[in-house]
Parts: sequence; structure tokens; C-alpha cells
Amino acid sequence: MHIMEGFLPPEWAVFWWVLALPCLGFGIFQLRKILAADREALPLLGVTGGFIFILSSLKLPSVTGSCSHPTGTGLSSVCFGPWVTSVICAIVLLFQSLFLAHGGLSVLGANIISMGVVGPLAGWTIYRALRDTRVNMFFTVFLACAIADLCTYVVTSLELALAYPAEVGGVASSFVLFLGIFAITQVPLAIVEGVVLALVFKYIVQLKPEILVRLKVFPEARIRAAAGDA
Amino acid sequence: MWKKYRLEVIAVVAILCFCGIFLYTSSLMGDAEYAGSDTLGASRVAELAGVSEEDFQPLVPQWEPPSAEIESGLFALQAAVGGIIVGWVFGYWRGQKNRST
Repeated sequence: MHIMEGFLPPEWAVFWWVLALPCLGFGIFQLRKILAADREALPLLGVTGGFIFILSSLKLPSVTGSCSHPTGTGLSSVCFGPWVTSVICAIVLLFQSLFLAHGGLSVLGANIISMGVVGPLAGWTIYRALRDTRVNMFFTVFLACAIADLCTYVVTSLELALAYPAEVGGVASSFVLFLGIFAITQVPLAIVEGVVLALVFKYIVQLKPEILVRLKVFPEARIRAAAGDA
Repeated sequence: MWKKYRLEVIAVVAILCFCGIFLYTSSLMGDAEYAGSDTLGASRVAELAGVSEEDFQPLVPQWEPPSAEIESGLFALQAAVGGIIVGWVFGYWRGQKNRST
């Protein structure tokens, strides 16, 4: 879950906003470039963005006796990179802070950094590391999605820990405390999210392999092979 | 057959496991409230800051859904918007594919 409105001191709220804005700016620039080069990328953007909308509205119970929701950012990150994902996340987060009192305008910057920047960036890094290896394509997507989800909540914990260091042990000990609340709850959700998005990726490969080839998501031969035997 | 539907099988098994684990842990933890992790995080923040949770006022005025019913409706709306887009695009791609073959 995101940081709630009013729960970050003003200086930290501003700090995360200042970090988030250039990421969004770069994301919008990249988005325009991708769409100008290939209008057929728009439906793919719709699918990956649509899943962020769906998954981030599902609050699921977890083993810790509390609830959280998946982020759905991994798939978009694999297809378009982390910065475009930031833009979609910002839209979702804005909707949630305006209409659902879920997150808020002052903490939006911090929430964009965790869900829209660092999470996707972590997933994308895994994906780039595995893209040209022999590791199964769908397994790569699974890992990227699960890591993107989990890292989002590690960063949320870090953002809260930096703003509220514990009296004993400082930032490190409150980081561990918040990890216990956010990250552990998230582990089962991250795994399920990864599996579901890997399945969605399979359907994209079957229906529209051309767009994945054009965006160079995976080497062409592997996409064709996967589309062929499905 | 197995090769063709391998991912589907794994996904269904993962979801069933998730539900099973939920049923099992919720039967063990009778007092679990299943509150949002943000709510738990907020009370921990209040503890660390040494003030009560009510002292955290929104920095920017915020509209809150008047009830949980309205909130769940708006969440459903968000999911529906995503679902419509996803369904529309998959249909569009399927149509394109059928036409070209």
C-alpha cells in the first residue's frame, strides 16, 4: 500500500516530488517518441497500463494478517522501460489520491518514486540482465514483475524509515520495522502477480508478436519461436 | 498438451495455493483484522514519532469517500476501466490476426 496523506513531513514530501518530476518528464518524452515512431505501440501500452489499473485496485489478504495490493508495473517496464511506466503509475496514483483517499497529493511524489520509478527500474534491470541469456522468456517476465512489485514496497519502507528513524538504531532499525509490515506482506502477492503477468505476456506473444519484435522486447528468433509453438 | 498450457496450469496452481494459504493462515489467526498494510504502517509511524495518529493531518486538503461502500465502488471502477482497455485491445489484436490469416 502507498504512504498515506500527511504521513510524510513536508521536507520529505518535497524531496520525493523533486526526484519524481524529472522521471515523469523523461517518461513523457520517451512515450511521445515511442508513439510517434509506431502507432501500433498504443494498444500494447493500453494492455500493460490496463493491468496496472486492474492489479493496483485489488487489495489482497496476505500471510501477515493484513492486506496489500500488487502493482502490475513489471509488464509495462519490460515492454516500454521504467520511465514510461512512471507516467502510467502517476495517473493511477493521482486517481487514487483524488478519489479514494489512498495516498495523497503531498505524498504523491514519494509514491511515484516507489511504485513508478524504483520498482519498475529494478524489474527492468533484472529483465535486461536476462534478456539475451538462455533463461526462459516467460520466467524472465515473471522475475521482473515479482521483483518490481517487491522493490516498490522495500522503497516505501525506506521512505518511511528515512522520515522516521527509530530512537534506538536509527534509520536501519525502523527500516527493518517497516519492511516487516510492507515487504513481508507483499511476498506472496509478488509471486502471484509475476505468474499472472507472465501468462498475460504469453497471450501478447501469441496475438501480436510483431509489436514485441519491433520494440525489441526479446530477440526476434525467440519471440517467433514462442509464438510458433503456442 | 502440457507444453501448450504449461503457463496456464502454473498460474492456476499459484492462485489456488495463494487462496489455500490464506484460508489456512486466517483459520490460525482468528484475531487478524486484515487491515491495509498502509494503516498498520501509519500506526507504526505514529509510535515512532511519539504522537497520536489523529495528529497526522493531510498537508493538502483531501476528499475522502464518505463510506467504505463508495470507496469499494470507486476501486471497482478503476479495475473496470483497466479491464475494458485490456479486453478491447486483445479483441482488436485477435481481429487483426484473423483478418490477416
